[in-house]
Amino acid sequence: MANPLTFYVPIKQDPITQAKAQLAYDNFVASVQKGLDDSHIVHYARLALIPNPGGEGILAICLITTFDGPMNPYLKYFWNDGALQAVFTGLAEIALNPPVLPVTDLTGFENFINNNNLNNPNDLYSAYNQTVRQIENKFPPSA
Amino acid sequence: MPNNPMPPPPDPRLVQGIILRGYTHPCSCHMLFTLQAGPGAAGFIRALMPYVQSAQDWGDSKPDRMLNIGLTYSGILTFDPSLKGQFPNEFETGPWSSGSQQSLMDAGAGRPDLWWNGYDSQAIHCIVHSYGMTADALSGLVAIVLQAAQANGAKEILPLKSGSGRLEEYAPLRDYIHFGYHDGIDNPALRWPDDPANTDPGDANNFLIGYDGSQFHPGPRSGKAGEFAKDGCYNAFRVLYQDVEAFDKFLADKAPLVVKAIGGSLDDATEWLAAKLVGRWRNGSPLVLSPDAPNPATSNATDFGYSGDPAALKCPYSAHTRVSNPRDEMTFPGTDTPVPRLLRRGMPYGAPPAPPDYEGERGLIGLFLCGSLAGQFEQLYSWINVNNFSDVFPDLDTQDALLANRVSPSDGDPSFTIPLPPGSSPIPIPSLPQFVVTRGTAYCLMPSIPTLRRIAGMAE
Repeated sequence: MANPLTFYVPIKQDPITQAKAQLAYDNFVASVQKGLDDSHIVHYARLALIPNPGGEGILAICLITTFDGPMNPYLKYFWNDGALQAVFTGLAEIALNPPVLPVTDLTGFENFINNNNLNNPNDLYSAYNQTVRQIENKFPPSA
Repeated sequence: MPNNPMPPPPDPRLVQGIILRGYTHPCSCHMLFTLQAGPGAAGFIRALMPYVQSAQDWGDSKPDRMLNIGLTYSGILTFDPSLKGQFPNEFETGPWSSGSQQSLMDAGAGRPDLWWNGYDSQAIHCIVHSYGMTADALSGLVAIVLQAAQANGAKEILPLKSGSGRLEEYAPLRDYIHFGYHDGIDNPALRWPDDPANTDPGDANNFLIGYDGSQFHPGPRSGKAGEFAKDGCYNAFRVLYQDVEAFDKFLADKAPLVVKAIGGSLDDATEWLAAKLVGRWRNGSPLVLSPDAPNPATSNATDFGYSGDPAALKCPYSAHTRVSNPRDEMTFPGTDTPVPRLLRRGMPYGAPPAPPDYEGERGLIGLFLCGSLAGQFEQLYSWINVNNFSDVFPDLDTQDALLANRVSPSDGDPSFTIPLPPGSSPIPIPSLPQFVVTRGTAYCLMPSIPTLRRIAGMAE
């Protein structure tokens, strides 16, 4: 059964932070490609930049993923992967409201993710029930 | 020489005993309390401190009675509200939360709003685990705990509808569960690693909070909560009703199918099927070591693996022990490796049935100790409910044959297949019944002795 993560973090408005957010957006797919490929549990992932109401600058970043299985046990995988850890610690650094716990260990990371997730497990519509691994087994990537 | 040697292990006098050593006291009682914030809560813990057992070796002076203490997140906040938001999310939101229920999948009669005999799960602040060498020693200690509660405004929660309402070990059944299997065999010996870069999931730094080298990252490690939790350990305290009638009926119904497939008597087929569900014969012999019959010589065996049984001709893939401890089974790298371990301290409650009369409350009191509730306990439970951690499972969605919650086929395939040697068709069982029902789950921190003394207002 797939689950949704909609990770929404308002960010600071200074030029350096805004540039970091744009850089995170520009490099998102390249920076997560290997880690998410290796996980075999993530169907889709994308990063969106939410514009300020006036249209100037970035209000927030929004990371949207759909993944297989429960979230709690698998957060350690994302923390243990150096590239994915760097993405999330980078997002914590530009957050308008810094996490209560510093994102320097798994506990801080877990709480950062959960406290900024706008979705619950029951919020997701899915046209199919197969997991990434079941789909990959059925349709192996071409050599 | 390792580059970054581990710090020395903690002084065992600072760690609650149940974490580092299995108790062999035959009598135990597990009492749940709501604490009164302020002096009452501190006074309750202070009154119990003389009986709290540490992990120090007791040599020849085995205590006649002793206890250990766990605190839930809401219990911790009664002592220090400033710790709010500093513990791992699953500990704070509790086992009834939607996040934890994605792994635990408690449904039907076991769903969280029915837990604890109707008491609010969040009212549980403290669990006192009392042990005695005799029934009299235990009842004396229980009386002391009750007196401490009364004197300090702690209210007892009675989680069972039957008997005293308390979770009392059924001593005559010690080392067995109500389904008839030998229990208490397989607990890892805790080692302290020399090198944080080379630790085993069974090493103590995966269970005690505050140390490097664990890929499960026991925490919190920083701030006031890090100080509070240091040298503590989490306890997923889970009470599971065991439906012996459903179990016996299943074996009786399916035994003829087994006789038809492999021959023999109905009695032999019943025992063979019971072994295939669990991966061990009821005497404890692992199927991979003793595939044809139980063997007293292997009844306590722990040194074996499954890689020599790739077609599951000895032990079915979804047999309980093959799921809950896959040993050398290849699991998916990264997400499902390393295989998490738990320190399991379980005991039966309730009297066995006298068939054909199955009335009565009975089951397992489970203390599942870990450094990370999400990364160890919930991950293993998610595997129990959906066998998706290794590509030995052809469809990646079957379930543990004994313990899984059968919610719906889309949440786990309840079928069970018993492979047979080439030339014989496997034995298919389209749908396994629900054998266990969750009566309650509480996530507790078992703090260090210094933390207990601090919250009790005593000098550390």
